[in-house]
Amino acid sequence: MTTQVDIVGALNKATASQNTVIETTHLCREFGQGDTLVKALTDANIIIERGEFTAIIGPSGSGKSTLLQLIGGLDNPSSGDVFLDNKNINHMTGTELSDFRRDHIGFIFQAYNLIPVLSARENIEYIMLLQGVPTAERNKRVDKLMHAVGLEGLGDRRPAELSGGQQQRVAVARAMVSTPSIILADEPTANLDSKTGADLLDMMKELNEKQNMTFVFSTHDPKIMERAKRIIRLVDGCIVDDERRK
Amino acid sequence: MLIVKLAFRNILRNRRRSLLTLLSMGGGFFLLCLTLSMSEGSYSNIINIFTQDHTGHVQVHKENYLERPSLYKTINHADEIITQLEQQPLVLGVAPRIYSPSLAYGKNKTFPAQVIGIDPDREAKTTRLENKISEGHYLTKEVINQITREVTNQVTREVTNQVTNLEGNQISTDGYFPAMIGFSLAKNLQLTIGDELVLISQGIDGSIANDIFEVVAIVGDVGSYERMNVYIHLSAMREFLSMQGDTSKVHELAIILSSQSEAREFAVNTQLALENKNLSVDPWQVVESSFYKSMQADKKGSYVSMGIIIFIVSIGVLNTILMGTLERTREFGVLKAIGTRPVVVFTLIMLESFVLAIISCLIGLALALPVCFWLAGVGISMPEPIDMGGIIFDTMLGEVSWFVVLLPSIVVISSTLIVSFIPAIRAAKISPLKALQAV
Repeated sequence: MTTQVDIVGALNKATASQNTVIETTHLCREFGQGDTLVKALTDANIIIERGEFTAIIGPSGSGKSTLLQLIGGLDNPSSGDVFLDNKNINHMTGTELSDFRRDHIGFIFQAYNLIPVLSARENIEYIMLLQGVPTAERNKRVDKLMHAVGLEGLGDRRPAELSGGQQQRVAVARAMVSTPSIILADEPTANLDSKTGADLLDMMKELNEKQNMTFVFSTHDPKIMERAKRIIRLVDGCIVDDERRK
Repeated sequence: MLIVKLAFRNILRNRRRSLLTLLSMGGGFFLLCLTLSMSEGSYSNIINIFTQDHTGHVQVHKENYLERPSLYKTINHADEIITQLEQQPLVLGVAPRIYSPSLAYGKNKTFPAQVIGIDPDREAKTTRLENKISEGHYLTKEVINQITREVTNQVTREVTNQVTNLEGNQISTDGYFPAMIGFSLAKNLQLTIGDELVLISQGIDGSIANDIFEVVAIVGDVGSYERMNVYIHLSAMREFLSMQGDTSKVHELAIILSSQSEAREFAVNTQLALENKNLSVDPWQVVESSFYKSMQADKKGSYVSMGIIIFIVSIGVLNTILMGTLERTREFGVLKAIGTRPVVVFTLIMLESFVLAIISCLIGLALALPVCFWLAGVGISMPEPIDMGGIIFDTMLGEVSWFVVLLPSIVVISSTLIVSFIPAIRAAKISPLKALQAV
């Protein structure tokens, strides 16, 4: 016999499932074999919900980047599964995964990783061109984002003509332009001076709050930790702490 | 458009390297184009000289005549066929011929000779026989009439006129038929202009054909095709061989066309048009099959040298493309990480190579065309002329044709795409993570 408590529980679970962007189950990643076997990540079970501003922290070699790469479908787990928008990305082919990354994930890298032969504007536009977004819509979105990240007037500059902070702003805009389910940022402030890093983080925090965009950072930057709503701490590939803040 | 934009910008990114690649590929195109132009030009020159020497571009015979020539395998009603052929726009000349292996006698010596009955006017339009007279005069109407007058100086003028009107340029049985003889035959028989030449052969009716001729010209030299030949007028030949009835019977029709490259197609079409006449129409490649085969073998040899050029150019291109893709590994990782499909990465690299190949072809073409035109017009004079079976080559000529331009283009573009295939596949297949971790 179904009780009222069961129904409420099931409803809560369904709502939670709708809000879940990422779910990892028993995620493991090992490198090498035999004597040289390294367990980079062990039994990671995480659920990240829409609108979270999460920081994955830990010392160097703790598995932060590995976890981020597995979530982003850039690497394959040794065991376990990654569900992104309730889809298991581990069983996708190369082309399916490319399309999935294009439509659902935005990446921000430590080294900016912009395409050097394209201008700032073209870098932001690139993903929309892959998606086949019409020109008018593309221009509208790029203009809006360039304004949001404070890059107005710099659209025609190539990455080499921009400062580190400006390049990372372009990277943020590129990551956000296709309105992905989640933005994964791997040490985004590591190459920036503290003021530029702080400004950039404030900007991302604002975008998170205004547009309910989900951010997951891999970092050991205290500035990110200060702003994060949730901090997942990793040590030697294991999740040792999962702290939620108000 | 995005891919095209990226491809062009990537090419322009490292301009010095792109320029060196373009020069290397353009140089390859230039060398290929030049080699091909020289080779095709030389072969065309040889073919033209060879076919215009005596063979013609196409020949018509009775079936199986080429395999087993016979006095009795004649083309009947040749006049009708000649008229039909001469109406073709491609045809520049048709030369009818009658062949008879004979015994030539002069000044106490006897030698075998190939006697050929020709229509002097048609032969002059078809081959270079008239230009090969080293002594005396070609079998023109004037010469024949002059000889007629000399040999019939005791006959009344009235009779002479009557005789010369018998058959245009045929003379009476009272006089001597004029004959042009090959250089070696003349030397062997110790004959000079004005001497008598006796020919003995088999008539078509089984009788012994024999007649006295007057030497009016010496043809060719010691190495030429005609050295042991005797040329007489067709009508004289018919009378010599007692060919009665059809006065237009011949053994061979040699046809010269405005372009030797049309020979095969023309032969096929003519064969169809002459169906039910038991005739065989063959292009020069079949008539002179041994010459054609040796030429083809020589061509294959030149293709080997072209293959070496292609190989060297391809290695250079492979090196450039590999270097370009290796140093952009991280960039490919980014492209893939942000959602670029592997096939797009593959297409991007192939497109870059294709654009490089096209530009290098244009550079190569700009360099090669003036040289090829110069070679085709002026050519390179050989310090020592080459004698090939009596045909003298003193200038190496080039050729400018679609083939000379298109083949190097196809070779450069396809070899570039082939060598780019492996780096492109590697870049398309590389894991984005590994690529991002590349230095």
